[in-house]
Amino acid sequence: MTPAPIILQTLIRARRRRLGARALAGYAFVAPSLLFLLIFALGPLLFTFYVSLHEWNMLTPVTAMPFRGLENYRYLLFEDPLFRQTFLNTLAFALGNVTLSTVFGLGVALLLNTRVAGRTIWRAIYFLPYVTSSVAVAIVWANLYHPSYGLLNGLLELLQQPPQRFLASLEQAMPSVIAVAVWHSVGYYMVLFLAGLQSIPAELYEAARVDGADPWRSFWLITLPLLRPTLLFVIVINTLASLQVFDLVFILTNGGPVNATTTLVLHMYRTAFEFTRMGRATAMAMLLFVVVFAITLIQLHLLRERE
Amino acid sequence: MARLMVSRRRFLRSAALTGGLLAGGALTSACQALPFRLPGAGPTRLTVLTHWGSQPLKDVLEPLFREYEKQNPNVQIEHQTVEFGELLKRITTGRLGGVAPDIYHFYNLWLPEFVGSDILHTPPTEVVTEIRQGYSPSTVEGVTYRGQVWGFPTEVNTYLLISNKQLLKEAGIEKPPATWDELRALAPKATRKEGGKVVQIGFLLIKGWDSGVVHPWTALLWSNNGEYVAKDYSRVLFNEPPGIETLELELDLIKSGAADLGFTMDDFVAGKVAMTIMANWWGAALRKGLPGGIDNVLVTPIPANAARGGRSTTLQYNWLWGVDKSSQNRDLAWKFITWLNTPRDGGSSPMGIFLTTGLNAIPARTSDQQAHAARLGDSFVKPFVESLRSSRTEPIIPGAQEIKTVLQKQIEAAWFGQKSAREALDTAAQEANRILAEKRR
Repeated sequence: MTPAPIILQTLIRARRRRLGARALAGYAFVAPSLLFLLIFALGPLLFTFYVSLHEWNMLTPVTAMPFRGLENYRYLLFEDPLFRQTFLNTLAFALGNVTLSTVFGLGVALLLNTRVAGRTIWRAIYFLPYVTSSVAVAIVWANLYHPSYGLLNGLLELLQQPPQRFLASLEQAMPSVIAVAVWHSVGYYMVLFLAGLQSIPAELYEAARVDGADPWRSFWLITLPLLRPTLLFVIVINTLASLQVFDLVFILTNGGPVNATTTLVLHMYRTAFEFTRMGRATAMAMLLFVVVFAITLIQLHLLRERE
Repeated sequence: MARLMVSRRRFLRSAALTGGLLAGGALTSACQALPFRLPGAGPTRLTVLTHWGSQPLKDVLEPLFREYEKQNPNVQIEHQTVEFGELLKRITTGRLGGVAPDIYHFYNLWLPEFVGSDILHTPPTEVVTEIRQGYSPSTVEGVTYRGQVWGFPTEVNTYLLISNKQLLKEAGIEKPPATWDELRALAPKATRKEGGKVVQIGFLLIKGWDSGVVHPWTALLWSNNGEYVAKDYSRVLFNEPPGIETLELELDLIKSGAADLGFTMDDFVAGKVAMTIMANWWGAALRKGLPGGIDNVLVTPIPANAARGGRSTTLQYNWLWGVDKSSQNRDLAWKFITWLNTPRDGGSSPMGIFLTTGLNAIPARTSDQQAHAARLGDSFVKPFVESLRSSRTEPIIPGAQEIKTVLQKQIEAAWFGQKSAREALDTAAQEANRILAEKRR
């Protein structure tokens, strides 16, 4: 064999070794995160799916769980009226919370992006509810909403209006819970929108003014399109959080009155830990995962920037 | 950019070292977290789980544990506490994690799940005999499942009609109603409006939690000659005519304005409600907050439906001490629980001391009730103690908690006008019977 092919083959082998070494180094750097994801994300997900195919009350060993196949899913989708109701409640909450907190968050951000006096203080005030524990928020609002001694009915009395039942009313309970959720989270989305607004070049607005555009046109044609990535992020994370709401509902109404505010996660919690039906609860968790995944994909598709 | 040269040998060596360090660290943490004792080293530790975690309760209970340790130097008691809402979760997750307590204090409604999952240790014969002899038949029934007594009953709670004396007097009501007809007639009289707004109601229907809704309703059902469940637990009976009549009684109170769903237990304590059906443990809140204090409270039997020949009957529920089957110290655990619940020098048991002085509850043991007769003899507590003689225990059936929640939601659906009494109870019964059938499988 001539030296040239030998040298070429040696070089190729050496190159492959270097590439292999690079790849190995890359894997080594991502290994800890990958391990973390495998142990704390993928592992529990697979175990959740496994348990959802069984009947388990957590008092017997995992190895002794009776296998039920898709029975838990069949019951939830075709027989359990409470699952359907809690699913609709959760959708209603998500729709209301996402819409209102996005609109209010953007509105407040637009206002505080102007040269208004004390805007730093205003920003801090609006952000304060978000840094308050949601449990504390719920306890305080439960008292504000109290039909007899709540501050809100006190204000209505001052305005000579009839008192309202708020959380004790079938019709008012869910809007009341949504109002608290919006109040709690609007500051966070305001901060995100503020960051997005401040990344929009001021020259664009100047050019629009020169061309005779009024504030509304500037908003629709400049602000909103350029804010699209932020808007997408806010809507997606808000939807994800809203579909999994638990603490506010648990403290404010415990799912009542009747099941008017029982959300999917609250129903799941009760099924798992009060009724010790972990198989059915994990089936609910898997169905929620599918729904959340689908909604997120749809949102990403609808709201992503067109290339 | 400099080339990154990592030989296979060097990478594998680094990975092995990192893995070893991680594994060692995890093992060390695990050893420190788990109770790890060399056999035969020091006193035996007994872990006791309760939901009595507040400091005032611990201040009365834990000295009793220390007293037992002094008398038995080979035993060390570790008291673990969680909130009531977390208690069942703690028991289940503790067993899953292999750190189940030796002894737990639990709600008797959980007996079917615990017994069905074989997690409770069967008490020794002498303990069962002690329990049968020392407690009332209804209390013994409350800790019995599938014919077996499972532990020492502790606090017992019953429900009676609680009335605000002052509001009854202002409404011209001489004495609280003893029958359903009297309740229907008198409750609206104690309702008051000011400027079109209801400021006081005659009867409070407690809503929002399962026991608050279902326990009073069940007491009324039994006082109407009705039954909750068939004797063989094959099906529920609460949707039969006595059950429907019981729910219709409550709907009549709502229709007449005597009950308003905007009012809560806080309103009774604030002096805005004339009557309700509640348990003895509520006495602490009434002593603290009710205008006029506990002297302004009348406690009388549950109204009965004379039209159906019903007799006033109340519901009783219990808590009990049990020993985990996986405990390595079962004999010591039973010995400790027995000491805790045995009268001393013919007087009160340690548990009786705690329940009356610490918890302000009614002790289940008959001799403790006698030993603390003075404390239990006040105008509020005494009727509850007397009602134990004729009370019935809350039905301990498979899926009891789930059935209670289903029933609660359907009763509330009727209260809020979503369903008629028959529709609500039929829906609840259908679901309850499905649960019973599943549990029998």
